[in-house]
Amino acid sequence: MSTIPSEIINWTILNEIISMDDDDSDFSKGLIIQFIDQAQTTFAQMQRQLDGEKNLTELDNLGHFLKGSSAALGLQRIAWVCERIQNLGRKLEHFFPNKIELVNTLSDKSITNGINIDEDDEEITIQADDKDNDSIYLILIAKALNQSRLEFKLARIELSKYYNTNL
Amino acid sequence: MSFSTINSNVNKTAGDNNNNNTTENSSTTDLLGMDLLQNGSRLMSTIQPNNSSDMVHMNNKTNDAPPSGANVNSGSTNPGSKAPANEFVRKLFRILENNEYPDIVTWTENGKSFVVLDTGKFTTHILPNHFKHSNFASFVRQLNKYDFHKVKRSPEERQKCKYGEQSWEFQHPEFRVHYGKGLDNIKRKIPAQRKVLLDESQKALLHFNSEGANPNNLSGSLLNESTTELLLSNTVSKDAFGNLRRRVDKLQKELDMSKMESYATKVELQKLNSKYNTVIESLITFKTINENLLNNFNTLCSTLANNGIEVPIFGDNGNQNSAGNANNRMSTAAIHSNNNTNNASPAASTVSLQLPNLPDENSLTPNAQGTTVTLRKGFHVLLVEDDAVSIQLCSKFLRKYGCTVQVVTDGLSAISTLEKFRYDLVLMDIVMPNLDGATATSIVRSFDNETPIIAMTGNIMNQDLITYLQHGMNDILAKPFTRDDLHSILIRYLKDRIPLCEQQLPPRNSSPQTHSNPNTANSNPNTINEQSLAMLPQENSSTTTPVTPGASISSAQHVQQGQQEQQHQLFHAQQHQQQHQNSVANARPDVPIPNLEHEINTVPHSSMGSTPQLPQPTLQENQLS
Repeated sequence: MSTIPSEIINWTILNEIISMDDDDSDFSKGLIIQFIDQAQTTFAQMQRQLDGEKNLTELDNLGHFLKGSSAALGLQRIAWVCERIQNLGRKLEHFFPNKIELVNTLSDKSITNGINIDEDDEEITIQADDKDNDSIYLILIAKALNQSRLEFKLARIELSKYYNTNL
Repeated sequence: MSFSTINSNVNKTAGDNNNNNTTENSSTTDLLGMDLLQNGSRLMSTIQPNNSSDMVHMNNKTNDAPPSGANVNSGSTNPGSKAPANEFVRKLFRILENNEYPDIVTWTENGKSFVVLDTGKFTTHILPNHFKHSNFASFVRQLNKYDFHKVKRSPEERQKCKYGEQSWEFQHPEFRVHYGKGLDNIKRKIPAQRKVLLDESQKALLHFNSEGANPNNLSGSLLNESTTELLLSNTVSKDAFGNLRRRVDKLQKELDMSKMESYATKVELQKLNSKYNTVIESLITFKTINENLLNNFNTLCSTLANNGIEVPIFGDNGNQNSAGNANNRMSTAAIHSNNNTNNASPAASTVSLQLPNLPDENSLTPNAQGTTVTLRKGFHVLLVEDDAVSIQLCSKFLRKYGCTVQVVTDGLSAISTLEKFRYDLVLMDIVMPNLDGATATSIVRSFDNETPIIAMTGNIMNQDLITYLQHGMNDILAKPFTRDDLHSILIRYLKDRIPLCEQQLPPRNSSPQTHSNPNTANSNPNTINEQSLAMLPQENSSTTTPVTPGASISSAQHVQQGQQEQQHQLFHAQQHQQQHQNSVANARPDVPIPNLEHEINTVPHSSMGSTPQLPQPTLQENQLS
């Protein structure tokens, strides 16, 4: 498992997109808004999988999907967590770090000031069962999903700052 | 060996035929015949030691002192000479008569059957000492062969049985207490299959047996003779057997050898396979390097040309049939004449030198200016991607590079779109709903080997990459990619190409015509684009209907909604430009230009210029495999 990037946004990537705003003033902002919408939809779909079908392949696909768009926009911490979800769905990884450890990797921890880190967490209700070895991955994905919600929140704060609007 | 003994005995018997045919003699033959029939080819191995020694013994008797024959037939009194056929039964009889193991095996009360009281002890105590059977089941099978039957009992009877529930009772009509005579009539059953095979000989033997029992029968000798013949015809000589055995051994050896060889071959094949894969990989690397070299060479040529140095025109001989390169047409007439057959020669290695002053219907001059590193405008790209953000981003980049973009969002739509329309390039996501990109590509490759298909994926593990290439994808663009990443892919696959929409396209699936190159004389091709774009508002109101199949997609439903209007405008602008280029560049009167209504006057007429060009290397994966 690679380590999570310390910066929320890879500005090299995002700046390149922003540079396209020359001939279309709201291009990058439009993309960001679209991503926000997409991420919320995907989180909800993931949560439905965890609560209902518990289909690891589907979770893998959802993780892959959100990883693609977040990485394309330079939202690298979200992309990293999505990659974890993807790999957990494929049972390629068997571990997900604790929230506090990941928050500590942030280069600018001040961004977490004033937000409740655990606010959006859904309770993990899946029971670990030795007979059904999917459940351990489902628990880890639930943990990762909570983390991705937090990263999403941080990215929104950062982006809102940049665009000087409430995204 | 018992076999030879039997044989000689038979011969001996045959020799005695004309003499007085004694009962002993005939019954010996009978016994041997029965044994031969029963054991058939297993003769060697199945004759019991007891039997064979008996036989030798008997044989000696026959040779040395022919017995009088009067008392021979009474089996019970002289078991030694009579026993071989059913020694097994006699042994059992003796054990029962002597009551050697009263607590294991004994006659029943009425004496018409015997009962095994304890099968376990029977197996451990009696079988090893008296019989060659290793287990009780085998013993029972032997009993059955002699037509003994287990006395069946119902479960209740079994419970009441005084010999115990686990006892086994057997009976044979001729096997009774103190009734030694009956043993003569207990014979092994002849297996059914053999009965059919040797039906004739068996009948003869049985006949002979009954005749032979009567010493007064005069036809005995005749029957004896025929029986002997039968026996001889049904037996195999020792030599023949030896030969057969040697052959079997030889064949076995050969089989073992073959097995070894096939194993060695398998190992060899695996080695070759891995070598093959390595070679393929290095060929692909070689192809890339070759490509780069040719690009550099191309740049050099154009630089030289720009500086007024005459450069010979290079032509390609067999470029047409290679995937991804069919659109890479040469601009000179010399190439045109070379190209109209699908020459199968390996194109990359046959960059043939053409004379610079070949007749040229476009009267191209070699010192025309050109930029080979800059991408032409107007390439039509199919973007297959399911993620809205990536679609917008990627199509934005593509448009920035002057491409027109068509978007579909899954593998199935990609296939159906590629069936209908041509594209200069396909960018294909891998993980998509309905059908993944790799599978979709392999299906597309069944009807289209030309269009370059680039995988866009975040999975860049080696195994995945190999899979994509094996499915017929040309290259991989790792996600997330920058504008420059995308540009280098475009350069790699579209540089030196003429956009399809500028070519006179034949219908899908037939070989595209080669035709002249559009002008590249303008030192800054971007100005063309900018100029034509600048004219957009005016031109837009009267845009023509789509000209080429590729262009007709501009109205296709998959175009991303938010971008649609803008894309339309851009597309039409480019379409105009393309048409214009067609009009300028196409000097062939036989190729009609449809709907050429709008001439963009600001575009300089520069059809007189052309850049010497080199074909792209054509060593493609699909040719290798």
